[in-house]
Amino acid sequence: MLNVFKTKLSAATIVLIPACIGINYLGKLIASVLKLPLWLDSIGTCIGGCLGGPIIGAICGALNNLIYGLTTGDNITLIYALTSLGIGLVVGILARLGFMETFPKSLICAVGGGLAAVVISTPLNILFWGGTTGNVWGDALFTLTQAQGMSVAFGSFLDELVVDVPDKLLTVVIVYLLLKGAPQKLTSLYDVNAEVERLD
Amino acid sequence: MSDFSLYVNKGTWLNKMHPYTKLLYILAAICIPVIGGKLWLFPVMILCSICLLACGRTLRRALPLVAFSFTLIIVIFLIQGLFNHANETILFSIGILTFYKEGLLYATRIGLNILNMLLSFAVFVLTTSPMELVDELEKSGFSPKFGYIINSVFQIIPQMMKSKDTIMDAQRSRGMETEGKLWVRVKALFPMISPVVMSSLVNTRERAIALEVRGFGRKNKKTFLYERPKHKGDRAIGVFLVLMIIAVTVWRIVSCL
Amino acid sequence: MPVIEIEHLKYKYPNTKRLALDDISLTIEKGEFIGIVGRNGAGKSTLSQAMIGLVPQFYKGAYGGKVIVDGVLADTCPVEEMCEKVGLIFQNPFNQLSGATETVYGEVAFGLQNLGIPADEMHKRVEKVLKQLDIWQYKDRNPFNLSGGQMQRVAIASVLVMQPGIIILDEPTSQLDPEGTEEVFRVVDQLTEAGFTIIMIEQKLEKIAKYCDRIILMNDGKMVDFDTPEKIFSMDDLTGIGVEPPVYTTFCREHDLKRQDGTYPVNLEDTLSIVRNSGKKILLEEKKTEIRKVAPQDVFRVEDLEFSYNHDVHIFEKLNLFLDGRSTAIIGQNGAGKTTLVRLLKGLLKPQSGRIWFGEDDISGKTVAMLADKVGYVFQNPDDQIFKYKVIDEVMYGPLNIGMSEKEARDRSMKALELMGLKGKEQMNPYDLELNERKMTAIASVVAMDTDVLILDEPTIAQDYPGRELIGGMIRELSSEGKLVIAILHDMDFVEKHFERVIVMAHGKILADSTALQVFAQDDVLREARLQKPYITELRQCLG
Repeated sequence: MLNVFKTKLSAATIVLIPACIGINYLGKLIASVLKLPLWLDSIGTCIGGCLGGPIIGAICGALNNLIYGLTTGDNITLIYALTSLGIGLVVGILARLGFMETFPKSLICAVGGGLAAVVISTPLNILFWGGTTGNVWGDALFTLTQAQGMSVAFGSFLDELVVDVPDKLLTVVIVYLLLKGAPQKLTSLYDVNAEVERLD
Repeated sequence: MSDFSLYVNKGTWLNKMHPYTKLLYILAAICIPVIGGKLWLFPVMILCSICLLACGRTLRRALPLVAFSFTLIIVIFLIQGLFNHANETILFSIGILTFYKEGLLYATRIGLNILNMLLSFAVFVLTTSPMELVDELEKSGFSPKFGYIINSVFQIIPQMMKSKDTIMDAQRSRGMETEGKLWVRVKALFPMISPVVMSSLVNTRERAIALEVRGFGRKNKKTFLYERPKHKGDRAIGVFLVLMIIAVTVWRIVSCL
Repeated sequence: MPVIEIEHLKYKYPNTKRLALDDISLTIEKGEFIGIVGRNGAGKSTLSQAMIGLVPQFYKGAYGGKVIVDGVLADTCPVEEMCEKVGLIFQNPFNQLSGATETVYGEVAFGLQNLGIPADEMHKRVEKVLKQLDIWQYKDRNPFNLSGGQMQRVAIASVLVMQPGIIILDEPTSQLDPEGTEEVFRVVDQLTEAGFTIIMIEQKLEKIAKYCDRIILMNDGKMVDFDTPEKIFSMDDLTGIGVEPPVYTTFCREHDLKRQDGTYPVNLEDTLSIVRNSGKKILLEEKKTEIRKVAPQDVFRVEDLEFSYNHDVHIFEKLNLFLDGRSTAIIGQNGAGKTTLVRLLKGLLKPQSGRIWFGEDDISGKTVAMLADKVGYVFQNPDDQIFKYKVIDEVMYGPLNIGMSEKEARDRSMKALELMGLKGKEQMNPYDLELNERKMTAIASVVAMDTDVLILDEPTIAQDYPGRELIGGMIRELSSEGKLVIAILHDMDFVEKHFERVIVMAHGKILADSTALQVFAQDDVLREARLQKPYITELRQCLG
């Protein structure tokens, strides 16, 4: 099982990371251009995880938020570097375990990624902003739970659940479809077990 | 620098400070009020950051960042003021909404913390070139591979944005609609995102070759084109910031005893 | 002294069955200029990348035989070491930038930093090579904001600065405008004089013939022959393996003008001297352009068009133009306004003032989607549009969008695919095809929409001779159906061969607008637009 974390830091993998961070950014941009009610800002992180493995996925996720946080001065993003790291890691592990091979399996991977996001984000939400997420629908739900007198942790968990899980579900499904169509000559560059075979 | 980063070189002393010194300032600005535990420490640090931003002639550029955080702060005030579990003392009522003292106090603390973090980050972000930071990190022993990734993000994203526009034009030329009902817009998602991803994977392969043929990944120690001129203030300010953090910690411990 | 020795080299990419290189043996001497020639997919790039060790180290796969470069084995010496011996420059100037530097100066120094060269030595080397390639004036610019030709020179500088003895140029000019191409070839001239060993892959065989000492002719992973340009291009049935000999060779073959050793000449000087010595007066006949009956009204009428991207720099001021049914090539440098013009015609951009009439309609009031079934536009880079898993689905996307029935869309798509030479590849994944075939897929996907107008932006990029002929055939076919074909092109010989009308643009103005024959006869216009005339025209004029 150690093999799951095997990572090679070749030039191809190194270049993949900024590309994935760029894809994250463009995913978010395209969702806003098309006025879709989703973020779609972790497509790149998931691609990094699927192609390069969990370590690369985690690096993509963490660096993504660190770089945006540090350049745009948006420290709200910065705090969620942990969440992105978790998503990349979990999707990477599940992909290595074969959960991106078929469509039904990819749904499990999607739920895994979504849950990772919820589990990590909820404590952060409570710690930094008293439980809200900044998403209108999620926060409306949170307000409702608080008005009902439920605990902050549970309310925040529900808030994050309705916000993150559908988004990550769609993200991983998109990634599955994209990678299914990607030619082997591109994906084989990231195969950690590839060796040169001799013909003579 | 690309338009993606907020950094502008205004030639002020803040631009000339070592990136590490400014990072230390962020640490101090966040730690001092949190460790000190007193509410008045937040406005002190916020004021301090505003002064620094003014010195760096970047106050105006910091405004959009602050404005951006206000929605979040307002939401927090509403929710905590109305529903915080510790709420007991009624402060005032607007119609059926009743605001409580405890919740609002809690919200004030969170709000000030957000503002404080935001502004101290702004001091760093608006006055530091990301490439310079990366160079300094590499000189202090960070892997050049890591440095490459960060620098590359800044150069590649503006290029990817351009290609997004071209992709959108190419698909609209083939009759794709980008406006209208939700379903129409959802249908446009894949034709947009797929070429973005695929072309970046294709480009990635070529760029990896370009790096390999230029000695990327060699084991020997990387060298640098420029030495950074030492700024006299770096050391003094650094020592001062560390002392402040220690002082606050001591003060807190003493006041607890 | 041999600098590259290849023995029985075999190579197969991962997950493929076909040998990309099949038993290649050859020896290259120090200081030689070697060309590699063959159709797309013949194994040219693979062979060149085996000389620097990218094959097999970067791609993995299966490898056999031996490649010895300057005394070391290329398949085991790490590429990051090998790069001090061999430099590689490839097609896309943009992807050769490291993507991690913000100035040209820093970009060129990037490789030296990796090698660990001390700072003062780095500054000396970078300055020398920037001045040598005449890009010193751009040293503080962001490399991404340069023109293609300048970017490609930065790429060459970045490789030269590492002081390799061998330079591999893999179609370095195929994505550049005519001026950028000349800039790069001026650098190639310099390198040749400086005594580098150079390996060049190039589709423009007139260029190859000019420089090369010897040529490797490849087909289907095998080396067909390795000999002097005269011997290679005098071989029979070159077109059968997808190689079109230089115009001079073809001309001399037609008139049976041989050199003393029995081969045909491959360059202009040789050809002229042989014609002179033959004592005969031989003329190259002008191609008869049939003056076709043109539809009475204009397809496009551009009136007093004004356009600028930002209000300071005007691209067009009071541009007037009529486009009728004749196939039209627009030529000129990048920045002349060609792409802006066709984007305005397509409705992707809106004029600031003036009108563009399409038939009876003013298109400034129409959206791109409304024009989708009238005006087709093939973008330069096929990867900007391909998103389906099957070629046929990709091609049917446009036709279905503009409201064709499933059956009609399929029929038209099959026809378009056949026209672009992709018959039998309908069920393949477009991304498993090579760039040239992806480009054909993109063209087919617009042709299938059966629009009245077809606009092509540099369709011949990355195409070999058979590919260019397919595109030429498509243009003739659509023209004969009464459609208007407009193409932006940088390949003058292709323009000369396939278009009824040629528009020369420079600085947002139309310098000339006539038949190819007349346009290429106007030396002053070509000079102002900084364009080279087609080789065939030059030959014709020299013959008198």
